[in-house]
Amino acid sequence: MDWLRTLLNRCIGFFDRKSLDQDLDEEFRSHLDFATEENRRRGMPEHEARSAALRQFGGVTQIRERYRLRRGLPLLDTIAQDIRFATRQIWRAPGFAAVAIVTLALGIGANTAVFTLTHALLLSTLPVRDPGELVRLAIDLSAVEANGHNAPLSLPIIEAIQKQSRSFHDIFAWCVYDFPFRDGTVNGGIHGAIVSGNAFRSLGTRPAAGRLLTPADDQPGGGPDGLAAVISYRIWMARYHADPSVLGRHITVTDHDATIVGVAPPGFEGVIVAEHPDIYLPLEFQAVLYGEPTKHDPGRLWLDTFGRLNPGVSRAQAEAEMSSLFPHILDATVPPAIRHMPAIEKARFEVKSARTGWSKLRSQYTEPLLLLQLMVGAVLLICCANLSGLFLARASARRQEFAIRGALGAGRLRLMRQLFVECLMLALPGALLGVGLAWMAGPWILHMLGNAEAEEAISMRPNPTVLCVTVACAVFCALLFGMAPAWTASHASVEASLRKSHPHASAGGRGLRNVFVPFQVALSLALVVVASLLGATVARLLTENSGYRTDNVIFALTDFLRIPEKGDALVALYRRMAARMEQLPGVDQASVAALSPLMGWRWTNEFVAAENARHARPVEAKENVIVSHYFSALGIPILAGRDLQNNDADRNSCIVSKAAARLYFPGASPLGKTLRSINHDRRTGVDTYRDCLVIGIVGDAKYDSLRQSPPPIVYIPLATGEAGMTNAGSNLFFVVHARSLAAAKSAFLATLHEMAPSSPEIPPMEFSQTLHDSVARERLLSVLSGFFALLGLLLSGIGIYGLVAWNVTQRTTEIGLRMALGATRPRVFALVIRQIVSLLAIGVLAGGLAAVFAARAIRSFLFEIGPGNPIVFAISALLLTLIALLAAALPARRAISIDPMSALKTE
Amino acid sequence: MGGENKADVLQGTLDLMVLKTLESMGPAHGYGIARRIEQVSSDSLSLNQGTIYPALLRLQQRGWINSEWGVSENNRRAKYYSLSRLGKKQIDKETENWERIAATMARFLAPAR
Repeated sequence: MDWLRTLLNRCIGFFDRKSLDQDLDEEFRSHLDFATEENRRRGMPEHEARSAALRQFGGVTQIRERYRLRRGLPLLDTIAQDIRFATRQIWRAPGFAAVAIVTLALGIGANTAVFTLTHALLLSTLPVRDPGELVRLAIDLSAVEANGHNAPLSLPIIEAIQKQSRSFHDIFAWCVYDFPFRDGTVNGGIHGAIVSGNAFRSLGTRPAAGRLLTPADDQPGGGPDGLAAVISYRIWMARYHADPSVLGRHITVTDHDATIVGVAPPGFEGVIVAEHPDIYLPLEFQAVLYGEPTKHDPGRLWLDTFGRLNPGVSRAQAEAEMSSLFPHILDATVPPAIRHMPAIEKARFEVKSARTGWSKLRSQYTEPLLLLQLMVGAVLLICCANLSGLFLARASARRQEFAIRGALGAGRLRLMRQLFVECLMLALPGALLGVGLAWMAGPWILHMLGNAEAEEAISMRPNPTVLCVTVACAVFCALLFGMAPAWTASHASVEASLRKSHPHASAGGRGLRNVFVPFQVALSLALVVVASLLGATVARLLTENSGYRTDNVIFALTDFLRIPEKGDALVALYRRMAARMEQLPGVDQASVAALSPLMGWRWTNEFVAAENARHARPVEAKENVIVSHYFSALGIPILAGRDLQNNDADRNSCIVSKAAARLYFPGASPLGKTLRSINHDRRTGVDTYRDCLVIGIVGDAKYDSLRQSPPPIVYIPLATGEAGMTNAGSNLFFVVHARSLAAAKSAFLATLHEMAPSSPEIPPMEFSQTLHDSVARERLLSVLSGFFALLGLLLSGIGIYGLVAWNVTQRTTEIGLRMALGATRPRVFALVIRQIVSLLAIGVLAGGLAAVFAARAIRSFLFEIGPGNPIVFAISALLLTLIALLAAALPARRAISIDPMSALKTE
Repeated sequence: MGGENKADVLQGTLDLMVLKTLESMGPAHGYGIARRIEQVSSDSLSLNQGTIYPALLRLQQRGWINSEWGVSENNRRAKYYSLSRLGKKQIDKETENWERIAATMARFLAPAR
């Protein structure tokens, strides 16, 4: 308790310094007066009485100092002193301070921006109970599929795991959905999720109002409240204005009545990162929508599954247990036809920590984000090198000051601390500015993800974790760039420094400064090479011939599941609607397709030429289901034969791409021949086949991504399929090519309202945007890396400028002398430049070497450009050299304008 | 006034001396306390009177003594120090402490006599 009271009193003493000082002086005065008086009474003469009193007292000043040290907080006092002093120093050179702060703001801002995204997507822990226990259960398909790293589970598999595994408890399933939504006058879409009844209990989530879903809600026929729905805190605020009467409200989700039973807590976005469900419904809703068989279909891998590890079970142990159980679970649940597909045979079970949730964006963006993180790290190092150089120059200019302070008794550590405080006082405002920059750049970076859902769900607002990292960055920078100057300053020889007549006549730290330039140049060169390679990749991807027309084309998704037309009528409706759109003003062609190209979706099927069916193995090709005018709408040339007719007459025909023609009918024209598609039936396990007549050959086009070369594609006509749907379901795209995008969109909407008024309205996509978004990852990488490379170049330029300018100032007298002795201006210019050229050469060599390794590391991101592309390397090096020489030429020009007379006179 | 035979004040003992002085004299000013200590020790201690002030501050920070500006008998303004309740309790503890140390020291020194 004593120490606490003492500390408190010291704090008071710290703040009440002035009045306490007066108090103390007065007390001393009265003490001395008492003593003087007593001495006088004893008979001393007046002046002797006074000096005797002073002697008895001891040294007044020393006592006062001791008193003061004890009274306040001396450490804080000296820090406050440092801060005051640093402020004066910074104030004295505002230009220097501004350059330092802006440099740091750029470097730290870049780091903050990238880290915010990395944190949001990869690192942020879910706001749930014991997130460390949470795992995601999935099927690892990496052995067979390069793109789809893992697949979710089906309900029978989940139930089997619940029964057989001893590693987990509270297993629950999660699936995000977009639902048509009606509530009073609101009629639109809502982003949501269907979840197991125990999901919220397992996560330990508490409602903001009402209750959350329970297993009782997840029963066939609904729970106590019928179809129960939980809404997000967000729409509770935005749409219902936090009205508590929202509980018990009846809403319509996908044509089914549901009751709002509760509100999820604020900040809860579920377990899928970069998704933000606004409504949660029980898993049973799947059965309500599509029937029990669909919900329990073992072959449909649709449920993202999470669970908690049992106490004492490690993730590795759980995975080991599951990998021995998994084959049996598959045997028991999955029909033989699927069970023995190569993908399933080679699949393994994976148990991954879900502390940070899960997102499919992760497989796509983890590596790019790490690469960007490395690049911004390099930018920050360049920043620090710059500032280190600037500080060294200043430190050597302030040599005398340090020497005087040393002579007056300032300790070495004290001097270093003072410099460090000065650095920190530049770094922290820099960091603040940087956070502001990152915040402003946030929406722009998110937009480049090319994922509308993620763009809305991810918050780029700096949060405490990000701010901590930023501040740590700033302190680290301050240490880094303050270190060299502090070292040289504290080692300055007092005597030698004081004896020099000119404060700037010493060359301290020059050796160190010379290291910074090659270091900066090397890092910048590596950045520029990486950025150029990534930029070239995007340019090549976008100028690559996709095989499609992209201008003025829209793809409009439909949801015709719940309209009255079924079967033949549904097929006819799609055809009629396409035909109707073509009649509307401005529309050139309109068609229907099951898939939109370049969105990453694939349909594959095995085909074989019927004539070779006996001895040739069926080979996989991509597939799409279309109606007439698809090729003309997308500008794909019909090379031979004809397009489909807009009726059922072509039911058993098909059209093949050039690559497919070559694949199945090598060396012969496929027109009039028969192509056989092989179907593995999931339930019966029997192979069936369908024959179709090839009636046309069309040009090649890319399929799911721009990276792959055009695959063989077989186009199948739209026809009647199972369960009242078409052979491609009831969610097909209209493809409309018109004079303008606006015309295409209005034609689609007008037709939809006229001919399928009860279907939900989904905003059409512009095909050119689809094309651009398909390279979103590469675009994000190239734009950001390009920006960072430019930043690196700029900073290096400033660094070189600073070094040369400093050198010129240092050598003013020498240059003046040389000129007085007859050196010509070009020779002086060369003299100044020569020094930088060798540093530049070292930097370019080292940077080239670093760039070779960096380029190899990013090979997987590149498209049609080698990591060792000599043109890229040459141009990058040239660009860097040019900028460096430009930066050096500016101060060098000042050198040649030195007037020899005035330069010598100052000596 | 450093006489050769005068002992330096042992660290920490000054606190107890001040407390005891205040206990016997009642409220007193800095000079009064310093003089009293010198008198009690019969001038055998070498005490710079000023050193009393850091000790007074230390005791004040611990809350053992209070201070107040007042007027002396000969009409001089002076700061008066007095024991607080906490300080009164502390005297016993400190005294006991000191006696233990003194007794221990005495035992060490006894055989040499």
